[in-house]
Amino acid sequence: MSSFIQILIGGLLQGGVFAAVALGFSLVYRVTGVINLSQGAFCVLGAMAMYYFEVAFHWPTALAAVLSVLSVAAFGVAVGAATFVPAVARLPVSSTLVLTAGLLTFFEGVALIVWGNQPYALPPFSGQAPVAVGPLRIPTQGLWLAGGIAAMIAALWLLVNRTALGRALQACADNAMAARLMGIDTRRMMLLSFTLAAAIGATSGLLVAPITSLQFDSGGFFTTSGFIAVAIGGMGSFAGSIVGGLVLGIAEQFAAYYVSSLFANTLALLLLMFMLLWRPQGLFASGPVRRLDVRADSLVHRALVRLSGRRALAVGVTLLIVLVAIPQLPLPNDVLSSLTISLILFIAVLGLDVLMGWTGQVSLGQAGFMAVGGYAAAILSTTYEWPPLAGVLAAMAISVVCALALSMVTGRLRGHYLALATLTFGLLIDSLTVGLVDLTGGPSGLVGIPSFAVGAFEFDTTERMFYLALGLSAVLVLLLEGGMRSQFGRALQAVRSDQLAAAALGVNVGWIKVSALCISAALASLAGSLYAFNFHFLSPEMVATPRSFEMIAMLVLGGEGTLLGGLFGALVLTLLPTLVQSLALYKTATTGALLVATFLFMPEGLFGRFAIWLSRLGGAGRTRSSGAAIETTAQ
Amino acid sequence: MTPALDIRNVSRRFGGLLAVDDVSFSVAQGGLSALIGPNGAGKTTLFNCVTNLFPPTAGSVRFFGQPLARLDGHRIAELGLVRTFQTARVFPGMTVLENALCGAQMHVRTSPLAQMFRTPGARSEERRLRDKAEALLDLIGLTPFSDAAATDLPMGAQKNLEVVRALMSRPRMLLLDEPAAGLNDSETADLAALLTAIRDVGITIMVVEHNMSLVMGIADQVIVLDAGKCVAIGAPAAIQSDPKVINAYVGSDG
Repeated sequence: MSSFIQILIGGLLQGGVFAAVALGFSLVYRVTGVINLSQGAFCVLGAMAMYYFEVAFHWPTALAAVLSVLSVAAFGVAVGAATFVPAVARLPVSSTLVLTAGLLTFFEGVALIVWGNQPYALPPFSGQAPVAVGPLRIPTQGLWLAGGIAAMIAALWLLVNRTALGRALQACADNAMAARLMGIDTRRMMLLSFTLAAAIGATSGLLVAPITSLQFDSGGFFTTSGFIAVAIGGMGSFAGSIVGGLVLGIAEQFAAYYVSSLFANTLALLLLMFMLLWRPQGLFASGPVRRLDVRADSLVHRALVRLSGRRALAVGVTLLIVLVAIPQLPLPNDVLSSLTISLILFIAVLGLDVLMGWTGQVSLGQAGFMAVGGYAAAILSTTYEWPPLAGVLAAMAISVVCALALSMVTGRLRGHYLALATLTFGLLIDSLTVGLVDLTGGPSGLVGIPSFAVGAFEFDTTERMFYLALGLSAVLVLLLEGGMRSQFGRALQAVRSDQLAAAALGVNVGWIKVSALCISAALASLAGSLYAFNFHFLSPEMVATPRSFEMIAMLVLGGEGTLLGGLFGALVLTLLPTLVQSLALYKTATTGALLVATFLFMPEGLFGRFAIWLSRLGGAGRTRSSGAAIETTAQ
Repeated sequence: MTPALDIRNVSRRFGGLLAVDDVSFSVAQGGLSALIGPNGAGKTTLFNCVTNLFPPTAGSVRFFGQPLARLDGHRIAELGLVRTFQTARVFPGMTVLENALCGAQMHVRTSPLAQMFRTPGARSEERRLRDKAEALLDLIGLTPFSDAAATDLPMGAQKNLEVVRALMSRPRMLLLDEPAAGLNDSETADLAALLTAIRDVGITIMVVEHNMSLVMGIADQVIVLDAGKCVAIGAPAAIQSDPKVINAYVGSDG
């Protein structure tokens, strides 16, 4: 019995942190309509500031805590004003969501540069000795944590319900247009909500750091846990965030104790999947019902990137010639193997482009399909000694089945919930690749994967793998280019820009989304298999959720909806750290910063910008009028 | 002959508000009906009920004898009932020509895979669709803009593009929600000619419209809604002199 209560207390403490992160989500969501995925990173930043003030500078705990929260809040103001608020004002909601994923990556990268990659623990505020309550022993830091979070919730409640500022925040949440008419500066309110959420995150981070040690990438953990909590409780509901956080914390603790700590995460994610199916709006639904016959998202405007068939062919052929010639140049071997990796990742990014760029469905779980493809092909070809080619094809079939199963969940979901479901899928696969030790080798990975082979021909050198990846990507680009320039591509775009109007023309929106997801899953799976055969080794972190974020950054950097763009994104993010070894430490921060900057300053991406420039060159008559149109849409 | 559209005792309630109240009428095949009434009379809501965007709370809708209850939006379009929207909803991020081509989606016979492999069948279908779309764009004078972004067109042209897009789907009946809103007089005259031409090729039309001169000039049946109720149905001339209609528009003087 006492162990039951002990676990319950542990669950409540952990749940309290999730609840605090979820509160931050809800606060920002209510004012801006966007889920800020960087929320969890503020916990780590708070703990990191605390570490410097308290441990390194030896300042008193209370002073250090206040200074930490203030400095993170100041950082939040700067980042929010420079990136988040402008993005909310001029980007579609789905892009803003992805931009915050970039912020999360950026913050993690900053923490990596400052802290390095080892875990840090802070000293408890009031000594190590736990308080004994009857047979129970409660760490004093747990009391600090519980008290601190309760105080924050109370303060937030007072602010929102009892002050003029709070009423202004509420007004923005209820009707931003009306709030502006009443003279409320909605941008300032957005910034305020972002900053408050940063302060909440920092406070909970420095309160929890003495109990759980944190490291640079713990932000992702807090974000996903808070995200799940808010999905259970109800997006935008304060009460829901608290309940959702506590439910999640308790469920995880009990699962860890009674089942296995390896599967605690899996069970939490299954709980979430169940919630999404049973009650997608969460326990405490909030928010007004939208009129369906009026377009909700007025910012779906996107630059027109259209290359004429002849120019596209010229670009493609030039690129292919350059790439074919590369292995003949005297290049260091690691450059060639980096190029091979870029090409393999490009195949997965191509799939992501069909799904995100063309169909407008945000997927935060692309690496999950890479994992399915990689592990399935690797296991089939090692344990069951299948020929690699059969393994790859079987893995693709398995991935498509997973995609079909996932679309049964996502079929009814839109917007944030869809992104959430794909993220959940990715995390579920992450936890399975770690947890199913007998099948996947667990955290230490799967070794002894053979080279890829077709019949007796083995792709056992870097050069051969390079040409294999190049050949496959060339064929895939050619096929997809054909599909995207035909009615199929137009149907995808119609679904991206206006599902209701598309359905009114007889476009089967559900079918289109399922096809896009299946194509995307099949390509990710193919890339995952090649990845495993290329390295002869596969471990969970090679195909984990951060990889999903990285591939999104590649796609956005290269240009969504351009197919070829992903190649440039993959090259930049893979090749740069190889060419300049000293950059490796900065890779995560750079990836995040590039993603954010691309959205803000060049939403059409590198290749999109190049294509617009190229289509303006020369050309008369119709081409010129389309050039003018491009110019005006690009603004 | 079965009517193209048969609306029987349709009501739609939003909370305490009865937006459409027990409306019944039918539209004959090949006819051009106009749904008129003051703002808030429930005209667009009735359209939304017919296309199941907001399913009716009571009553039934039949399209060429087939009940539409519980059918998805795209299934209704597949039956040949295609609508446009009050605020033009051209697809942003696509050209004018691509927008028009989107309308043909449900008649595309080649599979996505065939399109990817550019099979002869897929290429000839693509050419055929393009020819048809270009011919229709030419009809409404949008040819010079076919490669421009659809959202760059002025509002009137966007509404015309929406009509072309709907025509590409080869509908049996078109529901047009305020096609003349925002058009000037000469544009309205062009629209009247376009609508009559569409009717003359055998496509049944129902419009929601405020512009009386357009309605009275081309409609063969006018349905007047007021506060959710159907107050008059008849030929344009009869409607114009109906005291209930004058009452609905001008208000009672007693």
